[in-house]
Amino acid sequence: MFVMKNVAKKVMAGLVAAAFMAVAAGCGGSQQSGGTQAGSTAKIGVVTILSGGGAAYGEAIKQGLELARDEINSKGKTKIELVIEDSKGEKNEAINAANKLIHKDNVVGIIGPTLSGDMFAIGPIANQSGVPIMGTSTTAEGITEIGEYVFRNALPESLAIPQAVKKAQQKLGLKKVAIMYSNNNDWAVSSFKTFEQAVKNNGIEVLTIETFADKDTDFSAQLTKIATLKPDAIMVSGLYQEAGLILKKAREMGITVPFVGNNGFNSPQLVKIAGASAEGAIVASPWFPSKDDEKVKKFVTAYKAKYGKEPDQFAAQAYDALYIMADALEKSGSTTDRAKLKNSLKIVKDFQGVTGKFAFDEKRNPAMEVTVLVVKEGNFVELK
Amino acid sequence: MDSLLNPYYLQIVMFVMINAMLGISIYLTLATGQLSLGNAGFMSVGAYTSALLTLKVGVPIFLAVPAGGIAACLLAAVIGVPTTRMQGLYLAIATLGFGEVVRVVALNLKVTNGALGLSGIPSMSVMTGKGLSELGLGSGVGILSAQQLSNIIVIVVLALMLACLVFFALRLSKSRMGRAFAAIKADEQAAEVSGINTTYYKLVAFFMGAFVAGLAGALAAHITFYIGPQDFSYHKAVEILLFAVLGGSNVVWGPLLGSFILTLLPEVLRPVAEFREMIYGAILVIMMTFRPEGLLKEGTIRFLWAKFNWRAKAEDDNSQPEPEGGR
Repeated sequence: MFVMKNVAKKVMAGLVAAAFMAVAAGCGGSQQSGGTQAGSTAKIGVVTILSGGGAAYGEAIKQGLELARDEINSKGKTKIELVIEDSKGEKNEAINAANKLIHKDNVVGIIGPTLSGDMFAIGPIANQSGVPIMGTSTTAEGITEIGEYVFRNALPESLAIPQAVKKAQQKLGLKKVAIMYSNNNDWAVSSFKTFEQAVKNNGIEVLTIETFADKDTDFSAQLTKIATLKPDAIMVSGLYQEAGLILKKAREMGITVPFVGNNGFNSPQLVKIAGASAEGAIVASPWFPSKDDEKVKKFVTAYKAKYGKEPDQFAAQAYDALYIMADALEKSGSTTDRAKLKNSLKIVKDFQGVTGKFAFDEKRNPAMEVTVLVVKEGNFVELK
Repeated sequence: MDSLLNPYYLQIVMFVMINAMLGISIYLTLATGQLSLGNAGFMSVGAYTSALLTLKVGVPIFLAVPAGGIAACLLAAVIGVPTTRMQGLYLAIATLGFGEVVRVVALNLKVTNGALGLSGIPSMSVMTGKGLSELGLGSGVGILSAQQLSNIIVIVVLALMLACLVFFALRLSKSRMGRAFAAIKADEQAAEVSGINTTYYKLVAFFMGAFVAGLAGALAAHITFYIGPQDFSYHKAVEILLFAVLGGSNVVWGPLLGSFILTLLPEVLRPVAEFREMIYGAILVIMMTFRPEGLLKEGTIRFLWAKFNWRAKAEDDNSQPEPEGGR
C-alpha cells in the first residue's frame, strides 16, 4: 500500500510539473507574438490542414502562401507576417485555430480554411468579430452568404462545371452520360449537383448516377454497371486520388469514353496516379500551369526551384490570395484595420494573378476566366 | 484579466465542458462494465435533432437541447434492448456499428442535407449577445465586451449543467442503483445470482449514457454554427473512449480529468506546430505505459482526500503560523 502511494505521489508530481512546463511554453509563445510591432508589418492568419487526411492540400496551400510572402516582403512596401495554424481537417480544431488567430494573434485577415465544411464553422466567427476571411479552396455553394467579411478566390464549381460540360458537348457531341460522385465529401456532393444541373441544361440524358466514398479503392461494381449502359461520357465528382483510380479501372475494363471531372481532376497528381489512362480527361479550371503567360511561367519556375515540384491549383490559388490581400492592404493604407481591409478587398478589380484576371463580384465570389483543359500525353492542354 | 477572458480561451473552455459531459456519458455506461462505443452516434442524433428543430421548426434553443437528449435516449431504447444482452467486445463492435449507421443515415437523408451538413445553426453566444443588446447592454459592461459577456454567460450555463451532471453521477455511485452498477461491473453472474436485475440496470445505464451524449451533442451544435456527418465518425467515438481510458473509468473524476487534458493538450501544443501530433501520441503512450488503469482510480481519490483532510486538520490543530512559513 505504501509503495502504491509513493508511485501515485510521483506520478502526480510529474503531472503537475508537466502542466507547469506546458503553461510556461504556452506563455512564451504568446509573449513572442504579442511583442511584434503592429507598425508596417501586416499579420495575416492562415488556417489550413497540416496533419491528417487532407494534409497534401494544406501543404500545397502553405507553400503557395510562403512563396508569395517571400516575394512580397522582398519588394518592400507592405511587409507580411504569416501566422499558420493547423486545422487537422476537424471542425473544432479549425474553430480553435480561428479564435486564436482573431483574438490572440490579432491578425488583420485570415486566409483559409481548406475545407468548405470548416468554413461554415469558422466563417460566422470571423464575420461576427469583423475579420476578413478568404477561402482559397472552399468551392461549395453558399460560402460567401455567411456574411460580408467572407470572401473566396476559389472558383466555385457552379461556374467551372457548366463550362466544362458545355465545351465537352460541343466538341464531343454528348447525348447520354453517366455520373459518379463521392457521397461522403460535402464538396463533391455540391459539385455533383452542379453537374446534374449542367447536364440537364444542355439537354443531355443521364443514364445512371453512381456513388462512391473518399478513400475507396475499388470501383469495379459501379463501372461494370456504367459499361453496360454505354454512355457517351462519364462525369466524375471527387478528389484526385479516387478520380485517378476510377480512370485506371475504367480503362482496364475497356471503357474508352471520355471523362469530364470537377476540380478534383485538376492536379498533376491525377496524371501521376492514372498514367496513360488519364488521356482525354476533361476539366475546367482557372489554373493552367503551361499557360503562355509571363506571370505563370515565373511562378512555376520559382515554385519548382523552392519545393522541387510543379505547383498545383491549391498552391496557385493560395499564392494569388496573398497577393490580393497584400494589394488590398496597401490600398487600405493600414496594416491593422480589419474593416478597412474588408472595404478595399470588396473593390478589388482587374487584378492580374497566376490564375488569370481576377475581381470579386458583388457577392464576394471570384469573377474570373475559366479554361477548359484536356489531358494530352500526360499534360494538361487547352481543349480546342 | 483581459487576456484570460480572451474569446479564444473562452471557446476552449466551452469545448472542455462539452467534452466533460461526453466523459460523464461514457462513465455512466462503463459503470456497469459495458464498453459502449455508440456515444458518438448518440451525440450526432442529439446534435441533428436539436439543430433541425431550431433551423426548420423554430423551436427555441433551451427546448431543442433537451429534445436532442431525449431523441438520443429514445434511439437508445430501440437499439439498447438487443445490444445490452451482449458483453465485452461484442457490445463494443455492435455499438461502433450503430454509430457508423447513424453517420451513414445522416449522410444520405435529405433533411440532414447529406455530406454538406447543416450550416447556420443558431449559436447560443450569438443569441445571448442579441438578448443583451435588447437589454441595452450591446456595448458591453465595464471592461467586458458584449461578445465576452455573452460567451461568459454561455459558459456559466454550461458549467451549471455540467455541475448538475457531476453531482448526479456522484450521488448515483453512492445510491442503491450505483451499488448495483458496481456489482454488475465486478461480476455480472454473481450480481444476478444475488438478486440484481442485471438487464434492467444495464439498460438504465445505457439510457443515461445516451441521454447525456445527446445533450452534449445538442449543445455542441449550438456553439459551433455547423455540423456535418464527418464530425461524428468513429474518430469521435474513440476520442470519447480515450477520456475514460486516460483519466480512469472507476470514478467520475477520471473521465472528467481525461476530457480536460485531451481537450487542452492540442491547444497547449500549438506553438510546436508540426510536432503536435507526435507529442500528443507520445504523451498517450507514456501515460498508458506507466498508468494503464488511468490517471485516477478510487485509491488515488482516497489518497488525495486523506492528504487534504490531514492538512486541513493540521492547520486547525495549531492555529499558530507554521514554522516553515507555509507554501
